[in-house]
Amino acid sequence: MKLEGFPQNLTLKDGTEIVVKPLEAKDAPALLEFYRAIPEEDRLYLRDDVTKPEWLERFVSHVEHNEVVSLIALHGKTVVGEASLYRALHGWTAHVGEIRITVQPRLRRSGLGTALARDLVKVAVGLGVEKMIVQMVESQKSARRLFEKLGFRQEAVLRAHVKDIHGIKRDLLIASNDVSHLWEAMEALVSDFSPTVG
Amino acid sequence: MGCRMVKTEIRVGGLGGQGVILCGMIIGKAASIFDGKHATLIQAFGPEARGSACSAQVSVADEAIGYPYVKHPDVLIVMSPDAYTQFAPQLKSGGVLLYENELIKVDDRLPAGVKAFGIPATRLAEELGRRLVLNIVMTGFFTGVTGLVSSEAVEKAVKSSVPRGTEDLNLRAFRKGYEYGREAVTNAG
Repeated sequence: MKLEGFPQNLTLKDGTEIVVKPLEAKDAPALLEFYRAIPEEDRLYLRDDVTKPEWLERFVSHVEHNEVVSLIALHGKTVVGEASLYRALHGWTAHVGEIRITVQPRLRRSGLGTALARDLVKVAVGLGVEKMIVQMVESQKSARRLFEKLGFRQEAVLRAHVKDIHGIKRDLLIASNDVSHLWEAMEALVSDFSPTVG
Repeated sequence: MGCRMVKTEIRVGGLGGQGVILCGMIIGKAASIFDGKHATLIQAFGPEARGSACSAQVSVADEAIGYPYVKHPDVLIVMSPDAYTQFAPQLKSGGVLLYENELIKVDDRLPAGVKAFGIPATRLAEELGRRLVLNIVMTGFFTGVTGLVSSEAVEKAVKSSVPRGTEDLNLRAFRKGYEYGREAVTNAG
């Protein structure tokens, strides 16, 4: 699936030049390197063991089958951030997409996470996703602020749902952004109905 | 296939909810606002919002248009079997038929010399993520086959006509139809 508007160049707050583009199979080794460099404590917030080649193989296969849309941020040839949209192509949640974002610790608070999230939300809407969700641990305050700015609102809290590296159980927050109104407007536009005639 | 007629008459036909009128409006908008031509649009609705027959008549010319009604179109775009049955016999001899080929079966009611081009627009729209954009796929198909309006003009018309936030999918739908149309023309020789 070809995504429009990529690659995209952006300059972060600290002047770092970044290229954002959809993940291709040839980027896979750089992606694995990126995830392996993420501190273990941070990796605990991820649902998969992203340091394993088996995970990478599965992930790339999901991307190739359009079950996952993955955008990577490159600084030179190094991956410094990754944003994924997971979606069920069939079934009762086919209208829902889940967003996951990871940024290199050095570039947190640089605007990269916001840029990736914004791009991915745009891509998701373009793919017809009506509702987006994101899962965060209660302590991920900057991630919460980031998604709130993009229109996400807390929808559920799963108490003591995740356990951190120290064995402490934490609440998992689920925030969502319902963008179905955009498609309702499109539906109205193609209704071929005239209030003065019908 | 370039169109050198002074005035080109187009009819778009289908069912309410397929975006028939928007398809006609975008063609007219592209021609008049973004390609510097003249265009008129007449729309006809059925009594219900969904499922009833509706059609649009679009005229595109290099000069001002004195008579906006289309009786015998040069180009007919149809998205439903009923619209095909009703409007196909009215096509000009040697005209162009653009039809949704998984919904419509072309038969011998077409006037002599009509060139027919089919596209599975509904399926392509569904594959893109939304059945709703089938009319934009058809608009792209029209642009690719006829060359009556430039693809740049239609892209601008699509972008400025659809709700904010839905532009990307609509543009992808347009390009999908456009490429399909270019290929259909090439294959037809």
